[in-house]
Amino acid sequence: MNKSRRLKDGILNGLTWLSTAVAVAVLLLVFIFMFRRGWSDLSWDLITTDYWPQNLNVAFRQGEAGAYTAPADLAAGDSFSTLYGFALRDATDTKKAKTLIITYVDPDSPLESAYITTAGSQQGLNQAIHEDASVQMLYYQDEDGQQVLAGLLAGDDAASLVQKLDTGSVSIQSMYYQTAGGGIRGSILATLLLIGLTLVIVLPIGILAAVYLNEVAGRNRLTALLRQAIETLNGVPSIIFGLSGVVMLFPVTQLFGASGQSILLGALTMAVILLPVVIRQTEEALIVVPQSLRMGSLALGATRSQTIFKVVLPNALPGILTATLLSVSRVIGESAALIYTMSTVVTDNPKILQPATSLAVQIWQIMSSEQPDFKLASAVSLIILMMVLLLNLTVKLITRRLSRRWA
Amino acid sequence: MNLLADKKIKRSQEPMASAATPDLDPGSQTAEAADRYMSRGSGPVARARTQVAAGLKPAAGLPDLKPMFEVQDLNLYYSKFQALKHINLTIPAHQVTAFIGPSGCGKSTLLRCFNRMNDLLEEVRIDGRILMDGRDLRGPQTDVVELRTKVGMVFQQPNPFPMSIFDNVAYGLRCQGIKDRVYLRQVVETSLKKAALYDEVKDELDKNATKLSGGQQQRLCIARAIALQPQVILMDEPTSALDPIATLKIEELMNDLKKEYTIVIVTHSMQQAARISDKTAFFLLGEVVEFDDTVTMFNNPSDKRTEDYISGRFG
Repeated sequence: MNKSRRLKDGILNGLTWLSTAVAVAVLLLVFIFMFRRGWSDLSWDLITTDYWPQNLNVAFRQGEAGAYTAPADLAAGDSFSTLYGFALRDATDTKKAKTLIITYVDPDSPLESAYITTAGSQQGLNQAIHEDASVQMLYYQDEDGQQVLAGLLAGDDAASLVQKLDTGSVSIQSMYYQTAGGGIRGSILATLLLIGLTLVIVLPIGILAAVYLNEVAGRNRLTALLRQAIETLNGVPSIIFGLSGVVMLFPVTQLFGASGQSILLGALTMAVILLPVVIRQTEEALIVVPQSLRMGSLALGATRSQTIFKVVLPNALPGILTATLLSVSRVIGESAALIYTMSTVVTDNPKILQPATSLAVQIWQIMSSEQPDFKLASAVSLIILMMVLLLNLTVKLITRRLSRRWA
Repeated sequence: MNLLADKKIKRSQEPMASAATPDLDPGSQTAEAADRYMSRGSGPVARARTQVAAGLKPAAGLPDLKPMFEVQDLNLYYSKFQALKHINLTIPAHQVTAFIGPSGCGKSTLLRCFNRMNDLLEEVRIDGRILMDGRDLRGPQTDVVELRTKVGMVFQQPNPFPMSIFDNVAYGLRCQGIKDRVYLRQVVETSLKKAALYDEVKDELDKNATKLSGGQQQRLCIARAIALQPQVILMDEPTSALDPIATLKIEELMNDLKKEYTIVIVTHSMQQAARISDKTAFFLLGEVVEFDDTVTMFNNPSDKRTEDYISGRFG
């Protein structure tokens, strides 16, 4: 090998190495950035609580005073109630009004034993009070057995309220407070509903269409044309499908009783977007199934459809699972088409025939509101990332198990 | 030696040779062939021939056999290429009939006509008739799905389905809608026994069939065909992907199977044809050059081209 050849070789090798390094570095940076911004906002409460703040009247099953110790990491301005085991802080809400925010709740605190007393379907349900709830007013019982009102309505700030409670109360009776809100439970549910509905619509149609194109129809001009059309659909931007969904698919959802944007409309639109993907992936999985298996089945007196459903499709299952995974990832990540079809209004209790937001749309909604909350958006992104990761692993596991059973 | 060039020369000489054949004295031809063998020493063909000559099979044919298939003036075209030309053959029942000939001579194509697997290929055109029990295979009254249960097929590459051994053998019956577990179990067992596989797999019928060895897979494929109780088993080079020991087992199996089934086998190995078959058809360029009792064919071929082929001159 002469010098110039060695040099060229070195440069080309270096280029491949460099490109890989850049790609890995960029991906790592994105992940690190997301984690740093979003990790602090990520909590179990974020996933399990409602988005809209709720005003609640609660009473306590065990409201008697106890003895609690303040946590070591209590912030400097916070007042800790040693009789009831929670910490309060003075704050101002988005409307610049004074609020009292609970910053810490001891696991054994009476606040954990709260239940709803507001009349309605939720009456009597346990409703433990969590951090970030803002206390409006509080009734406690003093040493003489009198009910005393405290809280914002009584003109208290954090320090004076805690002082009142810790010097001369025997138990707390009831509380009127506002939950923190900002949770994404509703959007997670809506996303899951959307994924489920989309798959139910797109998988049977897509798989059967692929079976027709690959197994039933011959390779002629018509199928070539159909294939070309499907390929073209694959390249159309999703926002166009979103627009056409509003016009063309809305009447379909009306048949089911929807009166406007709905999860069903979103799912139908996503199904239209994903149809080419599913057909394409399934076709590729079908092509890989050895011809000798089809021949073997037919030679045993199986009909064509028996051959397809008993031999060909089971063997194409790993590929079909990949198609499913791709579809789910697309549904989780899609926002443009869903803004029109599912609305941007966050819903806490999503229903199929009512508007809701998926997680991706909620990110869009968080960032396009008057006060973009980048940390919250990052936290939601992290959740999406985790969902996709989990899904990937599940499908890999299933595929491996299937191929172990068959190969 | 340049084999390819040799082959080309042979091909170009063939029309001449065929034209010349009727005039030739068959006796002198055999003498010539014998001389050639002497000079060749103990080649594989020579050995095969010695076995046949040693009287492994009776020299006389069995003239009063019931025919299974009667092929009448069959022509087959792959779009414009004519793969089979005016084939006339009668395949006897309960015999092993071997098709030999060089690659691309149409022997597998004819085999696939017997269970109409050629239907699956596009741009195939067939004229002529194949009678099975006096009925035209390609006639409107023949149900192709039913035909394939009567005429089973074993392929060149073992092609077990990636499912359990049991499910493989039960596949054909289940496709016919038979669900009775006891009956299925019984058929699977007898089929595996007939295919000489039962003793090897009886404790692991739930095992994935693709985990068996190549020879076992091929016997499984035979069991799978037998499970349907066919009249005929077509075999398309069933041992070409197998090692010699597995090949031997399959050959022994065929000898047992011909009592119950008619077997038609395509093979590239002339020794195999000599060892296992009762009748042999020699194909060349889409035509049947010679069709006779195997013993006669290998000892005393009537056509010069057959002579050349079985003595290893070409192909």
